Amino acid sequence: MNFAFSVQGLTKRYPHFHLGDLDLRLPEGQIMGLVGVNGAGKTTLLRILTGLALPDRGQVEVLGLPMPGQQVAVKRDLGFASEDMRLYRSRTLRWHMDLIARIYPGWDEAYASELLRRFDLRADQAVGGFSHGQRVKALLLLNLSRRPRLLLLDEPTTGLDPVARAEVLEALAEVLRDEQRSVLFSSHNTHDIEQLADTITFLHQGRIVASEEKERFLDLWRRIVCQGDAAFEQVDWPEVAAARRSGSLVELKVRRFDDGIRERLAAGGLAVQSVHPMSLEDIFVTTVRTGGAA
Amino acid sequence: MQAATATARRHDMDSLRALAMLAGVVFHAGLAYSPMVQPLFPTADRGNAVVVDATLWFLHLFRMPLFFVVAGFFTAWLVERRGLAGLFRNRVRRILVPFLVFWPIVHLALTRSTLHAAATVEHPSPLLQWVAQGQRDGELPGAPLATGHLWFLYYLMWMYVLVWCLRALTSEPSGSAAPAWARVLGRLAALPGWVWLLVLPCLLTPSLASVTAPHPAPESLLPRFWAFGFFGPFFAWGYLLRRHPETESRLDRNAPVLLVGSLVAYSAWFFLVSGRSVEQATASSSWPVALLGAFVSVWMTSVCLTCGRRWFGRPSAPVRWLADASYWIYVVHLPVLFAIQYRLMDLDWGWSLKYFVALALTYAICLVGYQALVRHGPIGWLLGGRSHGRRVASSVPPVPST
Amino acid sequence: MNVGAIDIPMVRLLVAKDWKLFEKQLAAYVLAGMVALAFLGNAKPWSFYVGSLLLLIVLVAAACFSISTSLLVERKEQTLGFVMSLPVSPLDFYVAKLAGNLITFGVPFVVLSAGTVAVILLTPLPDGLLVFAVLVFGHVLLAYSVSLGVAMAVESEGWNTFVMIASMVLVNPFLMGIGQIPAITDHLQTDTIVLSAPALAILAAQALLSTGIVVLTGWVHCRKKSFY
Repeated sequence: MNFAFSVQGLTKRYPHFHLGDLDLRLPEGQIMGLVGVNGAGKTTLLRILTGLALPDRGQVEVLGLPMPGQQVAVKRDLGFASEDMRLYRSRTLRWHMDLIARIYPGWDEAYASELLRRFDLRADQAVGGFSHGQRVKALLLLNLSRRPRLLLLDEPTTGLDPVARAEVLEALAEVLRDEQRSVLFSSHNTHDIEQLADTITFLHQGRIVASEEKERFLDLWRRIVCQGDAAFEQVDWPEVAAARRSGSLVELKVRRFDDGIRERLAAGGLAVQSVHPMSLEDIFVTTVRTGGAA
Repeated sequence: MQAATATARRHDMDSLRALAMLAGVVFHAGLAYSPMVQPLFPTADRGNAVVVDATLWFLHLFRMPLFFVVAGFFTAWLVERRGLAGLFRNRVRRILVPFLVFWPIVHLALTRSTLHAAATVEHPSPLLQWVAQGQRDGELPGAPLATGHLWFLYYLMWMYVLVWCLRALTSEPSGSAAPAWARVLGRLAALPGWVWLLVLPCLLTPSLASVTAPHPAPESLLPRFWAFGFFGPFFAWGYLLRRHPETESRLDRNAPVLLVGSLVAYSAWFFLVSGRSVEQATASSSWPVALLGAFVSVWMTSVCLTCGRRWFGRPSAPVRWLADASYWIYVVHLPVLFAIQYRLMDLDWGWSLKYFVALALTYAICLVGYQALVRHGPIGWLLGGRSHGRRVASSVPPVPST
Repeated sequence: MNVGAIDIPMVRLLVAKDWKLFEKQLAAYVLAGMVALAFLGNAKPWSFYVGSLLLLIVLVAAACFSISTSLLVERKEQTLGFVMSLPVSPLDFYVAKLAGNLITFGVPFVVLSAGTVAVILLTPLPDGLLVFAVLVFGHVLLAYSVSLGVAMAVESEGWNTFVMIASMVLVNPFLMGIGQIPAITDHLQTDTIVLSAPALAILAAQALLSTGIVVLTGWVHCRKKSFY
């Protein structure tokens, strides 16, 4: 299997933050959502993948080539947009488009024009006058129109109004129809991730706390409401991520749910009243709070 | 003639530029017989006549202004077709490189022939006497490092730099709004013709008033304010003509009046200026003289543009050949002319015969040289921008040359 | 630093990009430089003074400008990440910035120093001044290299501003310093150009240090751990 990127034993140390050691791979043609709170290490990981930051240790391969050694070749097929990246304020979007078009032979002018229309952007306006949403869309346009094989997006939907967010997500969804293209995008908004990603990785305090296919995540996690007076200790099983009592009601959040759990709960004096699927956000919050693997 | 289409060759402008260049030979040859520059000119002859002054200084007032209008015109054309980067690439090859190549050669040739003349001529001019004296005393200072008659090439490069500066400084980041420089040109183009004819001379007057009358050639390597103030507006005029072709024929019907007006103004100018040598002229000419000179410059330039459109609008092989040769002739004519005139100084001919012989020989030598050595050789390529030994078909838009 | 790995077309594109970005300011400097030259050409003592002062201002401004706009502003305005996300290596980026600076600072520097040399040699000014003038230009070049190196290597805006101003202002003590060396000052008012041992040593030190700093800066830059 070809991987859009793979990192092994990756560590990066800053004075107040430590990333690693990470092992992570993204098969080609997939979209991975990177979920984590602010400061979890998402941006650092993305920067390392683009060569903007160098790791202290570990091996990084992007599009089959080692980084940062082959960064020029890699970046020819790479799109990267991050929240803190700015365009030249005094120049128009057209100027930026021309610059990018000269660098990337794969620049698709027709697609760029279509995105201009869809994003409602004015190419002859100086970028300095753009709103945050317009800036994000402009960056996305510059990246998407060069048709990269791997698109790395750092918080692309953060701070966008609902309309702009929908536009951006739609454009991204379109990229995914092409099975040769891969996307890694980070967000602390799990709804966006849930909408788009095939694979989801939870990053917390510089460590990967979970990395699974989205469907598996949603299949495995359940919220179970039971009734009974049994003590908590009785359900201190590895698959129970969280437990909360309210009167005679007990709410359990379970990773790796299966039908055997009902019987084990009943045997322990807890009658299962209802079993609910969990949202990704709920799964994420539960995972982060327990600090353990999903 | 109607405004040219974007790609048609402008035979009138080509011819006017050639005339301005060829008239330079007439001008420089005539200075030898001008009473006004007797004390200053190396080839100053024993024979001279006021009529030479009267003719030469009239020509002097509009020859180079006309040249700068044509240069501005072709500059705008080049920018239109090739952009600013293209302009600079072209101008470096066509103007800067020839300047750097020919300047030392011309400088050396002129210095050599003048030193030789100072030592050998029996009837030397005051300047030659001074050189000879210096040679005898061993106190002859080296020739000053100046651009000589090639000053216009040097100034053209500055003009191109100015074009870039002004365009860059007034450009708008947004592509939707016209840049300020284009708006200003548009407004100037919209002004009625008489405003140009009356206001432009007034704008030129301070520059002319700051130098002697007749105005000198700005030969110093350090750029001079007055030269920009005087020739710059003519360059801008040409630039505007190209950007707004509708203005080209606007002044045509005024040409007879302008010609008569210029002759009247020039008579007054000449009356005020003649009778003194350039040496005696004060550092600054008087304001009335400057104003009259400015009017003659603007009006006669306008008359020449009209004449160009009327008489040189159609292609003509001999005129074309002469136009191609004119750059070369102008660049090399001065050493040839001086060498001839130094030899003529000791002959007892009348000034008019000497003038004629000097002119005819200079043209002949330069033209023969052009046809034999230059036209199909690397120098022709350098000066003419055409491909080696091959004529460009007339349907192909030419590289506008300057 | 593998010099063979420099992607020349990309470097040219980056320089062209910076040129377009800063064209307006550059045009203003060129125009100011032309005005200064024209003042010099006026051949009056006051205008000579105004012209040479204006030229010096243009030179120092061009030096500070080329460093601050091309390097510090790129970082401050967070456009560095954008540039570095393009297919460029740190070496390409460094070479492009160096080349851009050579144009924005180098051209006025060469013109001004050549002009000064010409003025000293071709005018009645004593030719002995030449050594002094060359040493001053050597200092400006060194100060520029230091500022450029610090701007490439140090992110703090405060330090950069400090180094830029301090290195240029140090020309004063430098002038006083070389004024104390008899081997240099003895020939100041004469028409003989004497390249004394101390003068040569200072000049060599300036040249070596300037080159060394530029090379070292490139080396450090290519070993940096982050480019955003």
